[in-house]
Amino acid sequence: MKKYIVPVLVLLSLVSVSCSSDDDGMSEEKLEGTGEVSLTFDNGFGGNDLVLNTANTANANGEVLTISRFNYIVSNFRLVTKDGEEFTFAKDNSYFIINQEAGEETVELPEIPAGEYTTVKFGIGVDQEKFQQGAEGQGDFLAQAEANNMMWSWQAGYKFLNFEGTFTSETVTEAENFKVHMGSHGSSLDNYKEVSIELPTNIKVSNEMDSNIHLKIDASKILISSTSNIKFSEQAVIMVDEVKSPQIAVNVTEMFTVDHVHNGSGHN
Amino acid sequence: MRLFYLVYIAIVLVSCSAPKEDYVENNELLEFSVPSNFPEPVYPIDANPPTKFGFELGKKLFYDGKLSSNGFISCGFCHEQRTAFTHHGHQFSHGVDDKEGTRNTPPIQNAAFMPEFTWDGATSHLDLFPIIPITNEVEMGETMGNVLLKLNADEEYNGMFAAAFDDGEINAENFLKALSQFMVMMVSAESKYDKYSREEEGVEFTALEKKGLAIFAQKCASCHSSDLFTDHSFRNNGLPPNPKLNDIGRAEVSGAEQDKYKFKVPSLRNVALTAPYMHDGRFGTLMNVLNFYDSGVVNSETLDPILNNDELGVKLENDEKEALIAFLNTLTDENYINDARFAEY
Repeated sequence: MKKYIVPVLVLLSLVSVSCSSDDDGMSEEKLEGTGEVSLTFDNGFGGNDLVLNTANTANANGEVLTISRFNYIVSNFRLVTKDGEEFTFAKDNSYFIINQEAGEETVELPEIPAGEYTTVKFGIGVDQEKFQQGAEGQGDFLAQAEANNMMWSWQAGYKFLNFEGTFTSETVTEAENFKVHMGSHGSSLDNYKEVSIELPTNIKVSNEMDSNIHLKIDASKILISSTSNIKFSEQAVIMVDEVKSPQIAVNVTEMFTVDHVHNGSGHN
Repeated sequence: MRLFYLVYIAIVLVSCSAPKEDYVENNELLEFSVPSNFPEPVYPIDANPPTKFGFELGKKLFYDGKLSSNGFISCGFCHEQRTAFTHHGHQFSHGVDDKEGTRNTPPIQNAAFMPEFTWDGATSHLDLFPIIPITNEVEMGETMGNVLLKLNADEEYNGMFAAAFDDGEINAENFLKALSQFMVMMVSAESKYDKYSREEEGVEFTALEKKGLAIFAQKCASCHSSDLFTDHSFRNNGLPPNPKLNDIGRAEVSGAEQDKYKFKVPSLRNVALTAPYMHDGRFGTLMNVLNFYDSGVVNSETLDPILNNDELGVKLENDEKEALIAFLNTLTDENYINDARFAEY
């Protein structure tokens, strides 16, 4: 019996610590300084975990996708305080690649001013303003994008989404490759999009408190969203398609939901 | 021309006053001057002002095969100065492992004044342009990451990046900035036509050249406009597509049906030097190009409407063609193709 005493004590102290740090009575004035907000992009498909190279449950079109690559760029992070003020994270450092094969799923935003935030906003992809800053604007992000298969070599632009794998359907019984590379089309079509997501619980940030926003991503939305329905059995390679690429850009905005937040712990 | 003298004086003044004791501070700004017959540059000079050492670094990179996977294909391999930085006599660009591209190497000149690059406008920023040939598997077949690794391992480059940039780092930003500094300085504006256009003393056009200019203004300048000789637009000029290549041009970039078979209107500067012609290098002579516009234009859904008024193409009499060619020859800039600043050796 004795050996359980220590863990129990630890548990008790943990509970008391978390009680005090989550104390609702804690006045706002105590949120001082800065803290880190991290975002976890927890990739899934149709409500299940996304496991690469493993067949997913058939989507509404009866297509079974086996995903081998699922990378995307998230950028231009902003947080809205409960007073409605918007804090914009430094633009130069506000570009990140979520890469399922490399296990890159976290965005860390250090030195966020203390406060209580209700909403997170971010972009998917790279905005034209950044691109037009040339070499200076891209900085090291260029090399990072290349290393993560997010550069379009033939047009010197970024792939905002790189979604690859194989699929089968009622009509396609032998697995066929699919490839979705979505980005802006040179200067002729801007596919950069932004999302604004209200948090289920406000996050609090201060010298003492880092917070984490845990997002669940549903990759099935890439094809089927509230606005369009794309069938790989009709076209399985979508790279610069004037009709489908913008549809995918919009669909992608629907794949993000905030599942929960962690206040004060920093990480999930 | 007065502008040039002022600039020259400014350079002399700057270099006189520059402190000599510190190696890095000696990296003086190069003066980028806009020829008086040119529009304002598109390139944001202030964001990446060419400097002596930045330019020299860019030039070394331009002529360095290290930028390719096999170590032999430099930018200068396909962009040869004596032919206004084109791949003379080659229909298509040649890359690593004897691979061949599908498009004719365009000249490099006056890049600071161009809003979009490559035949299909695949990038709209000069800084980002070099990524295309470097990473294209039929051109230099490399990755940016690997190029930077090679440069980082090279002692001379370590010194040159340190001299050219404040942070001295060998990274993508500085690498691309250096290449841009070199290309931004590559201004061709000393042809006979330029001097004539600027009404410089002692420069006269022959009767034939004048006639050519008049025909050009009437029949060609709607697309080949301004003293850059391009309106930077993408157009289908009625070339029958080569079925072996089926190069859809601008539609590769935009994905738009209405952009099929459209290519960038090229500048005509130094055009007498840059044969073969068209995006696929199908015509060997300027006369063949004019013959095509006269009688070879084919109709299609995306043919530029400007070439489809009453009859297809641009009707030209033989004497008009001769005059046009005489005029086009005045666009050759001997200064530019012999400028030691841009020369490999």
